[in-house]
Amino acid sequence: MSIYSTLIAAPLLFAVLVFVGTRRVRDVLSAIFIVILGALSLSNIFSFNAPLEMSLPETFHVLFILIDVAVLAYFLWQGALLKHAYVIFFALVQILLYGAVMFLSPSIVSGDIFVDDISAVMLLVINIVGGIIIVYALEYIENEEFTSLKKNGFIAMLFFFLAVMNFIVCTNNIEIFFLLFELTTLCSYILIAYRGDALSRKNALQALWMNQIGGIAILAALIFSILQYDTVYFDVLIANSNPLYLLPIVLLAIAAFVKGASIPFDKWLLGAMVAPTPVSAILHSATMVKIAPYLMLKLAPAMSGFVSLTITLIGTFVFFSASLLALSKDYFKEILGLSTIALLGLMMALAAIGTPEAVTACLVLIVFHAISKALLFLQAGILEKNFHLKYVDDINGLVNHAPLVVFFIVIGFASLTLPPFGAFIAKFMAIESIAGEIIHNPLYAFALIFLALGSVFLTLLYFKVVTKLFAKDADVKSRHVEISKFYTIPSFLLVFLLLIGMYISFERAFLSSLEIVVPLVLIALIPALFSLLLFKKAHRVKEYNCGEKDDIQLSMYYFHMPRRVQITLTILATLGMWILLLGTIV
Amino acid sequence: MIEILLIVCAPLIGGLIYGLERKMRARMQNRQGPPLLQPFYDMWKLIDKQAFIINPYHTILGMMHFISLWMVVAFIILGENLLYVIFLHLLSSIFLILAGFSVKSIYSHIGSNRELLAILAYEPILIMLGVGFFILNGSFDISVIRENSPALASLFLLFLAFLMLIPIKLKKSPFDASEAHQEIVGGVEIEFSGVFFEFLYMAKWLEYIFIYLLLMLFAGDNILLGTGLFAIVFFLVNLVDNATARIKMSHLLKIVLGIGLTLGMCNLIGLSYV
Amino acid sequence: MFNLKKYRKKSPWILHYNAGSCNGCDIEILASLAPKYDLERFGVVNTGNPKQSDIFLVTGPVTLRSRERLVELYMQMPEPKVVVAVGSCSCTGGVFRDMYNVEDGVDRYIPVDVYIPGCAVSPELIIDGLVQGLEILEQKTKEMEKPLKLFKESTCEEGIVNRRDTALKVGKIDEKN
Repeated sequence: MSIYSTLIAAPLLFAVLVFVGTRRVRDVLSAIFIVILGALSLSNIFSFNAPLEMSLPETFHVLFILIDVAVLAYFLWQGALLKHAYVIFFALVQILLYGAVMFLSPSIVSGDIFVDDISAVMLLVINIVGGIIIVYALEYIENEEFTSLKKNGFIAMLFFFLAVMNFIVCTNNIEIFFLLFELTTLCSYILIAYRGDALSRKNALQALWMNQIGGIAILAALIFSILQYDTVYFDVLIANSNPLYLLPIVLLAIAAFVKGASIPFDKWLLGAMVAPTPVSAILHSATMVKIAPYLMLKLAPAMSGFVSLTITLIGTFVFFSASLLALSKDYFKEILGLSTIALLGLMMALAAIGTPEAVTACLVLIVFHAISKALLFLQAGILEKNFHLKYVDDINGLVNHAPLVVFFIVIGFASLTLPPFGAFIAKFMAIESIAGEIIHNPLYAFALIFLALGSVFLTLLYFKVVTKLFAKDADVKSRHVEISKFYTIPSFLLVFLLLIGMYISFERAFLSSLEIVVPLVLIALIPALFSLLLFKKAHRVKEYNCGEKDDIQLSMYYFHMPRRVQITLTILATLGMWILLLGTIV
Repeated sequence: MIEILLIVCAPLIGGLIYGLERKMRARMQNRQGPPLLQPFYDMWKLIDKQAFIINPYHTILGMMHFISLWMVVAFIILGENLLYVIFLHLLSSIFLILAGFSVKSIYSHIGSNRELLAILAYEPILIMLGVGFFILNGSFDISVIRENSPALASLFLLFLAFLMLIPIKLKKSPFDASEAHQEIVGGVEIEFSGVFFEFLYMAKWLEYIFIYLLLMLFAGDNILLGTGLFAIVFFLVNLVDNATARIKMSHLLKIVLGIGLTLGMCNLIGLSYV
Repeated sequence: MFNLKKYRKKSPWILHYNAGSCNGCDIEILASLAPKYDLERFGVVNTGNPKQSDIFLVTGPVTLRSRERLVELYMQMPEPKVVVAVGSCSCTGGVFRDMYNVEDGVDRYIPVDVYIPGCAVSPELIIDGLVQGLEILEQKTKEMEKPLKLFKESTCEEGIVNRRDTALKVGKIDEKN
């Protein structure tokens, strides 16, 4: 128990400590805290043997209610202050519903804290990947032009975010879950609006009202859960769930879709790009959006055939359409964002299938997606800070200037698609588990098609970007740009994590070592040998341009995506959600 | 032991098939055609030529394409996991595409681009093929698929879809826009020369082996049927190659994805009902 | 160690360049590749890519506009290579000889190994010329062959020969004499 309370309390404590002392003290303290958090989460997963369940004292509950009211009031105030109708409306609805929940008193009680192996994995991801991102943020934020108080506030907010995330994966009480859900909404709102310009404000408000829909869904789920099952606890709800009355489960699933920024709720995550890059990194990899697959994993045992099938279809459809939409994008962070949305869809689909294999695939995907996306966003930050590059079209021939950054980007993209990295293994298992489901229900064949098409689109997308990096002038001696050590060290740590993950994935014998090791060795070694032998003798020659001698400029290619395609995809996804909701009610 | 021998000889067998194909195509056009061993003559000549390189990345990626493709063929012969083989094949195609993009050459870029689109067309069908075999045999292992009875009848629609992607992979009309010989001067392979082109040339032979080994899977444990299938499809592909004109990439995508996915889908749904 | 050289003549890949020809000879070249004359029985492939070809078939009298490309393509062909001048124009300038806008034949710019006369050349002659060219190809070494004009000496750094910008661009000084 002490591990979990430390994991929750330590970042909270540091969120206060960060304001004390100079920058140097702050940096050293942060590093120490992050090492402690990482070590704790690691020791937790190694010493983990049985799920832990316990209750919190009554004073905590009162405190939580107070915080809840304060947060909702803050939302309302922000809405009124900035005159945003949606925010005001949804805040009011939430306050009403929350009041209703307070009046109902469920009788079946259970532990407030429940930590199982899924939570342990989530804790690992949150603390290690999140910690690495904070180390990076320490340097990043120093290069921005803000007051030192605001800079410290940024770091404090990130630590606070970690604390909330650590708590949310440990809680079993839906009321507390709602509170933490709202707190992550609050964190993301503040972080997105951090720059304080008009665009940031606008996007932050958008994130706020969209996430409030999730809050409403949770409150509605709470009310139905209390009315029907007489409980506010996940474990009781799931254990007693009646296949004919799954409304609370489905409402919680919809909250997950909102947090996971599935189409049609995708706008807020894409809008979050305006924030400083570490925010995107931490939103996309370790925190916030990862609530979605986690919640799905928790709910999966209670799902009936219909619910599970519909969620799988919606999830794989989102995977397909987000990766299709990403093909027409040019902004590097937007491409990363859409691919996050796509992969989250896949994670939720896998979680909803719920077979042991699918759950493993989902967890593997969560872990490796977090690492790869963190790595990629860190590079996006480096590109912006050191090279002033935002658009993919401008990164032409980056390999000449920054081979290290290119190496990280290539590793990041490769680890999301190609063997033998972890995310590939997850995709592999995803196909296997969906194939297993087709035997029982042919409708899963659609999920398979979405998955197959989506994964090809993603490959296309990633290598569209990667190839741009590789467009190299022949043997040009190029200038190298110095990159701060605070930027490269976190990236190296993440690559190191990827390699460890690779080791673990074949430790668990998903694939034989023959299938993984032999290709790696041969593909790496033989060309090196040949190149040593033959390159000296080879003449350097110009590219073939029909004998023309003029220089040419090659640009990126795009896929034209008409607006109606985008609208159709959104409508289809929305339709899917309604079918899910109405189908359950009927 | 026989497997090791097969793996080592795979490029040679591929070369023979390629030679046979050139001969056969010539006979269909009522001309004499090159000798059967022509691909090997080409091979020796290419080794003898002065080698050129544009930049080291380009050349190394080309070699990696060849080696990973050989690996794919080896894993099929050894009877490993079919899905893994399909993804490893994707990896080898990605190497080729990266090679194409790593030089500042217009034709190479267009070729890689079209290669990417071609992947978009055939990869989903390959995955569905894998799943079809999985539903039928309960396993992705190629060794298991080879021990079971022929899957041709139960996977007939997928078989038809697979027939459509053979011309894409082997760069045959009507689906050869990604290489488009004189139009974009061979696309990806344009900047390779001498002994380095040799790797790409042999990779093309391995592509034959890859495709025809996948084709043989439809025959299961029936070797006679497998040989028959090979002969018929081999003839058919060349006939179509001689009789059709090249179509545009966008048409290729529409045709292959539209028809192929529908066929595959019907087959999978049908399988789960039976 | 068996002799690799003998395979050179079994697999000649050709590059065909039109240096201002009237297309008469080009049609004949294509005719000789087509089923009736079937050059492919000698292993000929029309690659269209200098980097993978052994035989350079040039037609036309070399107009001023085409000189640069002619030299560039020649430099991009790996040794051993053979140049075959196809048609009267490319041998001597033909009917265009001494005109203001043409150079009189390919051999002003690059060394030619086989001349095939005729206006237009007949496919039989092309086949004969190619076979002659193959005999020469077998004797050649891998020593770098250089164009006669528009050529800058190639540089060699750390043992790596760089022939990237060896073919000059026709610029301020016109090289016609």
